Amino acid sequence: MIHRLLEAVSGHVAAADALVKRDDTLTLSISPEGQTRVASSRSRVGHLRVLRDGRVGSSSGSGGDAEIPDLVGRAMTSAAAGEEMDLFLPAPAPVPEVSARSHQVAAADATELDGLARTLFDRLRRGNRRVETWAERSVGSVQVGNSRGILVGYTVSMAGVGAVVESIGVGSGPPCRVFTSGAALPTLPELETLVAEVDRRLDPAIVELPARPASRMPVCLAPRAVATFLRPLRAALTGHRAWLGDSPLRGRMGEQVFDPRLSLIDDPLAEGRPASRPIDDEGVVSRRLPLIDRGRVAGFIADLSVGARANTPSTGHGWRTPHAPTRVGMTNVQVLPGPENRVTLLTMMGTGVWIEELEWGAGPNPGSGTIALRTPWAYLVEGGRVRGRLEGVVLSGNVFDALKELGGVGNDATWTGSHCLPSLLLTDISVRCET
Amino acid sequence: MKDRLFDAVSRSRAGYTELRLRRVWSTSVLVRGRSVDFASSAVEIGGAARCCSPGTGWGLVGFSGTDRLDTQTLQAHELSLAGASRQPVELAPIAVREHDAVMPIPDDPREVPLAEKRQHAESLAALLAASDRRIASSRVLCRDEVVETWLATSEGSWVHELRSEVSAAVLSVAEEGGNVERALGSMRIRGGWRSEPTEIEALVERVTTRAIERLHAPPVRSGRYTVVLDRSAAGALVHRAVTHLARPSLPGADPDVLPLGLRIGPECVTVGDDPTALGLSATAVCDDEGTGGRRTIIIQNGVVVGHLHSRETAAAGKQAPTGHARAGSLRGAPYPRASNSFLAHGQGTLDDLLQGITLGVYMIDALACESAGDQIALRAGSARMIRHGRLAEPVKGVRIMGGLLPVLGRIEAAAEDFAWDADGSRCRDGAAGVVPVTTGAPHVRLIDVAIGEGIS
Repeated sequence: MIHRLLEAVSGHVAAADALVKRDDTLTLSISPEGQTRVASSRSRVGHLRVLRDGRVGSSSGSGGDAEIPDLVGRAMTSAAAGEEMDLFLPAPAPVPEVSARSHQVAAADATELDGLARTLFDRLRRGNRRVETWAERSVGSVQVGNSRGILVGYTVSMAGVGAVVESIGVGSGPPCRVFTSGAALPTLPELETLVAEVDRRLDPAIVELPARPASRMPVCLAPRAVATFLRPLRAALTGHRAWLGDSPLRGRMGEQVFDPRLSLIDDPLAEGRPASRPIDDEGVVSRRLPLIDRGRVAGFIADLSVGARANTPSTGHGWRTPHAPTRVGMTNVQVLPGPENRVTLLTMMGTGVWIEELEWGAGPNPGSGTIALRTPWAYLVEGGRVRGRLEGVVLSGNVFDALKELGGVGNDATWTGSHCLPSLLLTDISVRCET
Repeated sequence: MKDRLFDAVSRSRAGYTELRLRRVWSTSVLVRGRSVDFASSAVEIGGAARCCSPGTGWGLVGFSGTDRLDTQTLQAHELSLAGASRQPVELAPIAVREHDAVMPIPDDPREVPLAEKRQHAESLAALLAASDRRIASSRVLCRDEVVETWLATSEGSWVHELRSEVSAAVLSVAEEGGNVERALGSMRIRGGWRSEPTEIEALVERVTTRAIERLHAPPVRSGRYTVVLDRSAAGALVHRAVTHLARPSLPGADPDVLPLGLRIGPECVTVGDDPTALGLSATAVCDDEGTGGRRTIIIQNGVVVGHLHSRETAAAGKQAPTGHARAGSLRGAPYPRASNSFLAHGQGTLDDLLQGITLGVYMIDALACESAGDQIALRAGSARMIRHGRLAEPVKGVRIMGGLLPVLGRIEAAAEDFAWDADGSRCRDGAAGVVPVTTGAPHVRLIDVAIGEGIS
């Protein structure tokens, strides 16, 4: 289809690129009552972008051959009303190899997913728990082409399993959500890790935060919480905001802004992760990109449009989502691990709060890094030991300030979906109870 | 199309089969500052086939395009058998209906050239940029959507609908002396671009004013206050605190359900959901299972009296379906979801509510209303202090946090000034996806509410 799309606009436009994405997802979920739902979703989407008379136009549709004339017509109309831009499409280049597909996942059927979801369901079930589990596998293909001669395709697969577990009874916490995903089917040890995490989070009894109403104390964020906490930082390194907008990091390339123990990398070539890909959705070859290098700002990400406006090359971070324009986004995000294990981090805290998960709620001014996030799963640590679970704790402060001086970086960086993040010990952040 | 759908449904061997198709035409124009970022269009067509049989669970196949509809229903049947469900699905009975209401759309957004939509978005952006020298950057997103839906079931129900809506979202960033503040606002209107042009301009003005106000607004001091919610904030609270808990749980969503007969507020609290309310973005004659929508009262004078149901949850709860089964995506399954949620009007005016408040907080608009377990957080788009019965200086960082039911229990009075809100709210709920929703409420007063510490 790509070839036919490009052929249809050839001679009528200065340049064009096209993308077709197919996805086949099978999901099986088991309700607390044991009811099974199986859903299959097969989607196909085609995008066309043209550069005509110095203006960019785009259109998208369901990707069938029959709609090529419609797609072309709408892209031309869009170009007549589109932005003026000197969009420079990439030329063919060697494409790196990256493993993003598993035959085992591609072949997994409902029975196999039922086995995974039911194993997790049975392992998590207790008399005082309400358990819901799901398993999912997704197989897809991406084809990108442009008028400079690029025509590249690759296939991807992803599988995941997860659970929502709630304690029933007095003092029970909010639902505990856990999941693991990757390019291969989850293994039994991975399921056991989820079971252990649920037990660790649900078991401690509720205690009160000794200092009220607000106090600065050491806070250690577990990897799932780090993923949420770093959202303002990821946004500040991304696209228009970073290069041309109101990012607090704009214009600070090379500056030592953060603790030297903080290094953040975007890695589309990581083996078998959900966002792994050899090229981006605009045909730009993927590469591992350090964004924060030992505390220094080392890079921002861009797609072709942002690159054209900021006069910088695309970093291969263009994404085309169904029926929406191209956007800039990270792929697989890694924070390099430090030397401290969990016990050491707890000991270093003395008295503090261990946070397993943060709930993103934007907060007063997330653009400048000022957040106030609820912590559905927080634990009081005293004398290096977890004393109990805290309720109604809010973490507030400025993300950029908190990352200037870290108390420690954990050695527990493990992949959860497209994130590989270690625990982070923060010393300059405030916690308070708000109930 | 009707024959194709019923032909595919009739080939299914499942006990119950449902086939839904949807075609969505949309255009989007984003203006960043004064430059057009993109102006594009999309057409998407696809749907979902869903089956269950006696003794099985659900099987669903979502797909793009309209090819091989009979294959989709056959595969949905196979999946319903493959899950080895330990508990069969039961569906509450509904009246078989034929609803074919496709009329030409007056003010059809598809007939407005993209270039004209671009000019419209640019003029809004220009209005924003010219409003104040402290506006450092801005974004205006104008979008329209026309959705055509076809639904056929093995019981003989047939629905064919065509609807259109336009929406605008505005982000305004104000900067002064190194201080940067943002404000957001959105609105969604059924119909086309000529429906309510002045309301969209008013939105731009409101968002700009809010961003500028925040530059010098001090953070609110945390503590317990008497709080007055404007209609938008009151509607958001009711949507999240009541309607989310007024239906049996969804996959991945909060598992709690308000039990019938529970008193959760004073006499002045009456809450419901009305998918038949005229002209709102979530209004529909039938839901995505073909059940006729009906106005459902959830809380009557402070006591829980009803839930929102799909056919499946109605059967499980031995209730009648309420017409609230809504699919959160083109290819998704329908689940019980709120549509147009409302808090019924009370008596008196806003001034009456403010009267007698020595020190309080007035919350304007809801930036977000989130809950986790039994806790809720409502963040104001903007806020003012109330001093001696009058609205006083603006403050920022205002957020109500507390137990979900205790917050509702603190409602003391509702005014008579009920109105539906036109903001572009969407409700995201676990695996059930995203649906447009509308809320309506009068101003309400809550006593002794914990307001979170503001952070500048």
